[in-house]
Amino acid sequence: MPLKLAVIGQQMEQMAESAATFVPVQERFVEQAQALLRRIPADALCDKLDSQRLQQPRIPWLVASPLGSMSGAVHAPAPPAEVCVVGGDASSIAPDRHSSLRYYVLNVGVAALTYGSHPDARLGSDSQLCFRDEDLYLFPDKRDVPLEGTLLGTRMEAESLRALQRATQSATLPTVALRDGPLILWTLQNESELVQSSMLHAFLESMSVLQQASIPLGGYISFSDAHDVANSLRVWLCQGRPNACERCDSEERDLCMALAKIHDRELFSFLSDGQRSELFGSSSQILKLYGEHRVAFFYLNVGGEIARIETPLWVATDPALLGLLHAATYDQCRRSSGFPPYPPALLEAHEQAVITSAERRLIEEMVERAMAGLGLSVKRSAKDDSKRRRGV
Amino acid sequence: MMIGEIIETMSTGFVAESFELNQPPALGSFVVVHAPSAGPSVELYAVVTNGRTVGVDPSRRPIRQSTAAVFDQAIYEHQPQLKHTLRTEFSAALVGWATEGRIRQHLPSRPPPLHFSVHTASEEQVQHFTHSLQYLRLLLQTVAEVSPLQVVAANVREVFERRDQDRDWLCQAAREIAILLKSDHEALLNVLQAIDPGEADPANSALARQSSAIAPDPSRRGSRP
Repeated sequence: MPLKLAVIGQQMEQMAESAATFVPVQERFVEQAQALLRRIPADALCDKLDSQRLQQPRIPWLVASPLGSMSGAVHAPAPPAEVCVVGGDASSIAPDRHSSLRYYVLNVGVAALTYGSHPDARLGSDSQLCFRDEDLYLFPDKRDVPLEGTLLGTRMEAESLRALQRATQSATLPTVALRDGPLILWTLQNESELVQSSMLHAFLESMSVLQQASIPLGGYISFSDAHDVANSLRVWLCQGRPNACERCDSEERDLCMALAKIHDRELFSFLSDGQRSELFGSSSQILKLYGEHRVAFFYLNVGGEIARIETPLWVATDPALLGLLHAATYDQCRRSSGFPPYPPALLEAHEQAVITSAERRLIEEMVERAMAGLGLSVKRSAKDDSKRRRGV
Repeated sequence: MMIGEIIETMSTGFVAESFELNQPPALGSFVVVHAPSAGPSVELYAVVTNGRTVGVDPSRRPIRQSTAAVFDQAIYEHQPQLKHTLRTEFSAALVGWATEGRIRQHLPSRPPPLHFSVHTASEEQVQHFTHSLQYLRLLLQTVAEVSPLQVVAANVREVFERRDQDRDWLCQAAREIAILLKSDHEALLNVLQAIDPGEADPANSALARQSSAIAPDPSRRGSRP
């Protein structure tokens, strides 16, 4: 066996020992960070963040601006007696660089669960084989910017939001749209502005339709590794410039360095079951293109996990819509049979969207058969071919 | 009444997915499939040998959903998606077929087609088919998850009720079973106990006495009366 498990085994023991030392120290720092969170006046932090933003170089971290108090906690309202929660998710088979035929497959899953006097469920998926130039390139006229990697991921996000929006079209009950994953498409950040706006167009269009229908939208992120709020605390502690840590001799340096490893979900572990934090705005650059759909977020104790919920400002600033999103999301988690809980609407949407490895192989075979039917063959790279044969 | 659709078929029987979750047809009950035929219509008769409710996706095992406040039927209202993620299926053993009013109690020449509908047998069909008891032999030879003895007993109980508690038919069925199980007294007693409509000591019931005459208990052989 080429993988040296004996060597890795020793390294695993070292890793476990390191974690055993790190965890209690980190827990102490989390307590200190939570005390700091309670101490900081939100206005003063916003002022400091604003003044830092004007300085050059800019703050090197993603930070969160409080829209309320830093450590406020809001109890979940009771969900409406009749409510519909629509979950959306998507998956894909990416284009294969080793194949002579260029195509990808998108599969979008939706689960609309209705609770109340007439409980009901609608589960479904929408699958498409994308092989035309307009599918394969962002700018098909020039055959420029192929849709792969990050851009294919963004297309999936846009498709799942479109499916969510369609599934809520005929809603008569109070309805909440939940998406698996963030609404802040930060992965587009390194793309050109033209690519960013082209990719965001469909995504924001679906958000507009939901806004017109007054359907609150939430991006549900389980076990988020975001540090936005923790980073804001670092800026608050910083006496000099946030990008000159190596020269820092502040007495708060240890806490500041510890905050670099503290996730927001740990910071908000003081929330009790069903409670959400106050809202925060993100400093993600991509949000400049979101206009009225600029995204805010809050943390929610779903009963076993602190989840991050992202939502557009038109939900965040409307107490009724925000309350409905909060109540329905927590209610979803209370209906979950797992621990930590996960919204059933998202679980079922995932089950509808997922493409299994057997299905991936089947798609490949079907494509080859369709080509063979016309006397054509799919050529594969020598590298891929040798990996498949694995001859000795 | 249409109750399911065939999802697996073979010469000896089929598996069908029930239209209603958690409601497979009763064990031992008769179901009918209308087989395609170029000539006169053909109805295939089968007896339900097993029922089960499982996850639609075999890789997703059903897990506990109840809480202190939500249990039993309320779970299905609390978790409406279960109607789509669970399914009920039942197996049925083919025991005969009918065409132009004539009943044949042996395996049909072809299995019913996949995805065809399964219907419950009407009172009239049950009465007509069970006029003869040849099918019990076929049923006893069934290889299924549930013991064929239990399936036969369930079938006799079911038919007895559907024939308006026809005691003559029941005695005739008991005699037929006694002939079929004459070499296995223990099995016979099990079936007789299971089909007896309610006498206190099934071993001494009229059915048992009648059947023992056909298949005497070998352990009592040679003992004084």
